[in-house]
Amino acid sequence: MGRYLRRRLLTAIPVFFGITILVFCMLNLAQGSILDLMGEGSGATDADRAALAASLGLDLPLPQRYLMWLGDLLRGDLGVSYANGKPVAGLIAQRVGPSLLLTGTGVVLAVAIALPLGVLAAWKPRSGWDKAASALSLISFGVPGFFLCLAGIFLFSVTLGWLPANGMYAAGRFSGVADLIRHLILPAGVVCLSSVGELVKQTRAACLEALGEDYIRTARAKGLTDGAVMVRHAFRGALIPVLTTILSHIPHILGGSVVVEQIFGWPGMGSLLFSGISGRDYTVVMGVTVVIALTVLLTNLLLDLVYGLADPRVRYGKE
Amino acid sequence: MKRLIALLMAAVLALGLTACGEKKEPTAEQITGRYGLSNAWDSLMPYNSPSGSNYTRIICDKIYDRLAYVHADGTLDPRGATSWESADDGMAVIFHLDEKAAFHDGTPVTAQHWADTITLMTDPNCPALGRSVFSVLAGTDENGVALEGEQLGAEAVDDHTLKLTFKRPTTPEDFLLDKNREFYVLPTHLMEGVDPAQIMELDLWDAPVGSGPCKFVEEIPGSQLVLEINKDYQLGCPDFDQLVITVMDKSNLLPSLISGDLDYYAFGGNVSVEDAETARASGLEVVEGEVPNTFYELMLNCETIPSAEVRRAIDLALDKEALCLQSTQGLGEPTATDVTPGTEYTCSLTWERDVDQARTLLEQGGYDGRTYTLACTSNRSGLASLMQQELAEVGMNVTIETVDSAALFSGMADGKYDMAIASHTPGALPLWFTESRLSEGNNIFHIADLEPYTYYIEQISAASGWETRQVLLDKLQELLADQRPFIPLWFGRTLHVQSPTVDNIDYPSSSFSNENIWAWKMKEA
Repeated sequence: MGRYLRRRLLTAIPVFFGITILVFCMLNLAQGSILDLMGEGSGATDADRAALAASLGLDLPLPQRYLMWLGDLLRGDLGVSYANGKPVAGLIAQRVGPSLLLTGTGVVLAVAIALPLGVLAAWKPRSGWDKAASALSLISFGVPGFFLCLAGIFLFSVTLGWLPANGMYAAGRFSGVADLIRHLILPAGVVCLSSVGELVKQTRAACLEALGEDYIRTARAKGLTDGAVMVRHAFRGALIPVLTTILSHIPHILGGSVVVEQIFGWPGMGSLLFSGISGRDYTVVMGVTVVIALTVLLTNLLLDLVYGLADPRVRYGKE
Repeated sequence: MKRLIALLMAAVLALGLTACGEKKEPTAEQITGRYGLSNAWDSLMPYNSPSGSNYTRIICDKIYDRLAYVHADGTLDPRGATSWESADDGMAVIFHLDEKAAFHDGTPVTAQHWADTITLMTDPNCPALGRSVFSVLAGTDENGVALEGEQLGAEAVDDHTLKLTFKRPTTPEDFLLDKNREFYVLPTHLMEGVDPAQIMELDLWDAPVGSGPCKFVEEIPGSQLVLEINKDYQLGCPDFDQLVITVMDKSNLLPSLISGDLDYYAFGGNVSVEDAETARASGLEVVEGEVPNTFYELMLNCETIPSAEVRRAIDLALDKEALCLQSTQGLGEPTATDVTPGTEYTCSLTWERDVDQARTLLEQGGYDGRTYTLACTSNRSGLASLMQQELAEVGMNVTIETVDSAALFSGMADGKYDMAIASHTPGALPLWFTESRLSEGNNIFHIADLEPYTYYIEQISAASGWETRQVLLDKLQELLADQRPFIPLWFGRTLHVQSPTVDNIDYPSSSFSNENIWAWKMKEA
């Protein structure tokens, strides 16, 4: 197990650096930079642009800029934002909490709905539960996130006036859990609805597959009730694909939901990434990329470890 | 499994609550004004903004004070200065500053603060961005950097009298219409002894102290800004206690206003014709702007389209009426010039579509059938398609490339695109557009010889009387019509959705990046 872990960690290192090189090159080779945005509104002169380029190091060759960024990263410094000169690590730290709260709540809600609904749909095919699961999946897969956001705002904020249409707090600052929850319901609901379809579908399919296995027939032969067979045996057997789907949402939780955060004005990682990309704030985009890349790599490792807990047949083999 | 889910939920809750853990609670009786913005500001230090965008300006407008308040129609009201007058045969302007003005730390604002701000920002060692705005002042070079051994044109005559001296005759009105939004007073008493090279590194800009109508409280950069109303502001204060500015997607601004989750959104509650119907149906009042607040142009690359005949052919081939209608839904007028209608300057040039003449000009210009690339942002792809069809009618091939603003301006600057659609906030001065666009430092049209243009621009700038300027302006416009380095398309007006909760908002003037927040009053429920 220890050896396996070491090997996985070692293979993750080149993958991580590969990701950073790829994103760095894509960002810097894309048409337009912060210098071009400077000319858009301000009528800035070439001298202004040259001064900015020099202060941000944009006048240096690309490989040198990457190596400088990497050197800073290895010293634990994610650099400063091109746009506002603030440390990127600080900006990310400010945004991680709101993203965890929003996307985490959405995904936990999605799991709480999807697991029982998926099991029920598999247990009682063509029943009302199954139809509900299919309908939910269809909406979740078929309706784009931005539309869900706008439809939610129209229905619950504009028409019914039940929920606020934007922000995290009514007065800009924390003024009670009730206020926070009121602001959370709508965006978290959209995140939940966007994630629930895949989870329901996966749970249902995995449970149906497990129900056809020999050990289920054995369990039934032992005289166990349908419910016990379903929950104790079929669901346990279906856990690996379901867990894979659930855990694959972890980077999404940390990285935030770009569309939802942007539309609702939620101060999370997604909206930070959006403003970083649209403002050509490369250091911010790279900082967020580092966090997401590390989360993806660690999640994959975590997945491998959780497989062993979920299914005793999985062993971290000697080769 | 239960344990795993419980653990996951606990982790999410614990980490998520860090989002609200360290916040200060507002007092219960505080009244909050909620303000929406579709794009983020960058720096809270006005001379350190890479974008120099209106989003940054409208935020700095709240924290810092300016000399005057500029109305959409070009009229001026006192702000940091109570009055102003010309001096030294029109080469200088004297500003009489408001003696009640004070920084948020209580220090009175003096003319020395203004002079020191300009001295500091024009210091060659100070890494100020966009300081070319100071290049109009005597003693600076064309980039706004102070020249060694020369007297800088910013002087504190006494505690409350500021004298600005210019390189050429400038009326107070011309200066303020053109530059007011770029001239802020900084708390230089908090920067004493600091090396100008280190000015931008000061912690002061994390929690800026200005003398504007709002005081900084806290910020989530790029997402939310909490400001406290400056109750001592010399022009008064609104009847709410704090202003919360939230960045959100454009699509949520109007719904938030309708649902009562916003009191106002920048700029001026602008709304499209279709959305205006929704606003009206929801009980909101929508008012039509009276002054043009957008100018659309088709930028041309004179290097890849070197023939003036071909450029004029493009001008004649475009159906500006149809394009304007598509874009403004009847709230605009096609134009043959960049001179803003409704100002004291006029232009007699007219525009009429002439497909046959366009074909003739294309032939004369030696158009070889090559395909030009037209760049536009995604919200203007419909316009670009119309242009493509209209140009195809005269036999010109165009492909469309949809990009974001940064890529569009970069592509025009480096010659990748042949043409691009852009829009601007028009100004009241005759050179509001041409002076910056037709200059060596910003030659985005790739004009081989700028001299004929800069000759007139210099002449117009130096002319003192309206009549002389108008004559010169006519000649410049004739030259532009003959050479067509860019194609003026139309001037558009906008619709302003009135706030359901706040009165006294001067909606149109936000196009000059200033808002009369001190006059805003909450409506009675």
